Amino acid sequence: MTPSLLRVELRKLLPYKTAWVILAIFAALLFLILHISSNVTINGQTAGPSFYEFPGLWPKVTYVASYFNLLLGILIVIAVTDEFTFRTLRQQIIDGYTRADVVQAKYSVVLLLGFACALYVFVLGLFFGITRATEVPFSKMYVDAEAVLYYLVQAIGYMSLAMLFGFLIKKSGLAILAFLIYAKILEPIIHYQLPDHIDKYFPMKVLSSLTPMPGKEMFEMVTGASEALTPMHALLPAVLYIGLFSFLSYFLLRFRDL
Amino acid sequence: MANVLDIQGLSKRYKSVQALDQLSISVPEGSIYGLLGPNGSGKTTTLGIVLDVINPTAGTFQWFGQPLSKETKRRIGALLETPNFYPYLTGLQNLKIVADIKRVDHSQVQTVLETVGLANRQHNDFKGYSLGMKQRLAIGAALLGNPEVLVLDEPTNGLDPEGIAEVRELILNVAKQGKTILLASHLLDEVEKVCTHMAVLRAGHLKAEGPVGTIMSAHDLVIINGGAPLEKLEEIARSLPIVTDAKIIHHQVQLILQTGVDSAEVNKAFFAQGIALSQLTVRKKTLESQFMEIIKADKKI
Repeated sequence: MTPSLLRVELRKLLPYKTAWVILAIFAALLFLILHISSNVTINGQTAGPSFYEFPGLWPKVTYVASYFNLLLGILIVIAVTDEFTFRTLRQQIIDGYTRADVVQAKYSVVLLLGFACALYVFVLGLFFGITRATEVPFSKMYVDAEAVLYYLVQAIGYMSLAMLFGFLIKKSGLAILAFLIYAKILEPIIHYQLPDHIDKYFPMKVLSSLTPMPGKEMFEMVTGASEALTPMHALLPAVLYIGLFSFLSYFLLRFRDL
Repeated sequence: MANVLDIQGLSKRYKSVQALDQLSISVPEGSIYGLLGPNGSGKTTTLGIVLDVINPTAGTFQWFGQPLSKETKRRIGALLETPNFYPYLTGLQNLKIVADIKRVDHSQVQTVLETVGLANRQHNDFKGYSLGMKQRLAIGAALLGNPEVLVLDEPTNGLDPEGIAEVRELILNVAKQGKTILLASHLLDEVEKVCTHMAVLRAGHLKAEGPVGTIMSAHDLVIINGGAPLEKLEEIARSLPIVTDAKIIHHQVQLILQTGVDSAEVNKAFFAQGIALSQLTVRKKTLESQFMEIIKADKKI
């Protein structure tokens, strides 16, 4: 992957209002949800400032952030399908890109967005942890902060799948719809049909295992354990899925007329 | 002279449609090569294949005697069907992207914008451009990197007469710099005015290929009159081996000669029969009638 591929992508994205609007919604919603989270009342108890205490804050921040991966996915679907709509993908192949260049260029955007959003999540975590908690134990501040790294892999995974849907379907509306239906409806239905020890390896389940619901252990004492990978065990399958989605994107382009 | 592009036995099948059938053509260096044919005859499919965006079903092609690669792509500037740009970016921003992809220095962008007359509109969004401006921007993009070959697909499509004249002048100017131009068009007039070589396609088949002059003169009409009654002239003409067809039209006899036969031969042959023709004119057929003939001939089969 060469820096010049990313530079060309930035020339397309930086002046693109749609991209900024989606990122602004992502940033604002995440901030807002974290801001009001302390008011959430469970069993008549309001979490209050204790919600923001390190180190328990990190899994909470990344769990909340994981809900907004869909926005990042939509942004990537748009970035990919635009190339078909404007027929610029075709022109770029004519002008000198290989099909692998096209996929790598989009993948470089996925990486950049992943790192930018993970950084934002990290900064938000520090901000809320330092300003809102009643006491700030500096010694524990970075304990469990690796949750942000798991979140990074998760965001890249979601966006890689979105990229694949973009290359597969080519039309933005349909591709977004298919991406949402797969992520939120189709795979959950499949999970329901299959035993846990198989469905825990499905892509959406693997990706969501990277940011488990905080306090899940307590929850499961009541409802019974559901089998899922720990973030650490989900890491390798997640990386393999990311590789698979990128390869399939290339495979689609390779054998299709543009 | 070497060939810039060689195509051998290129075929493309879309499910039930044979878009291109065993096409073999060669584009000589320095020529303005016209790919002529009605809509759906396989022109864009041919260009799409040699430009790497359509996978052929069979056949091969070489640019500059080599298979297509990043290096050969940099020697080619091409516009296929429509101008393809980001509508929300300005003309300048769009050309900078093309320059980056072609690894061309940005200083060339201004030069090209001036060549195609868009320097004063470079800061406007592409979506606000008129069709003619969009087309000129696409030609400008194709010119970036000073390529040896320009591939233009219907470059005057949808333009007004002024725009058409501008684009043609641009093409001729570029050709004067010694560049080879491969031009697809369904406009006979365009090919006749601009091209040095041509290939005629119909329904994916090659119908004729060669220098424009040769194709045109291959079936020139010779009109004769005088020296004997028309019926007599017709009868003699039909008996001559150099004449493929003769008929009486408008009180004249119209002859079609065999390929490569000079009209002076006709005069000699009649003189040998003791007839001095009072009129012998060669009428160059327009490309239009030529074209219709090629296509009709095919329909009969």
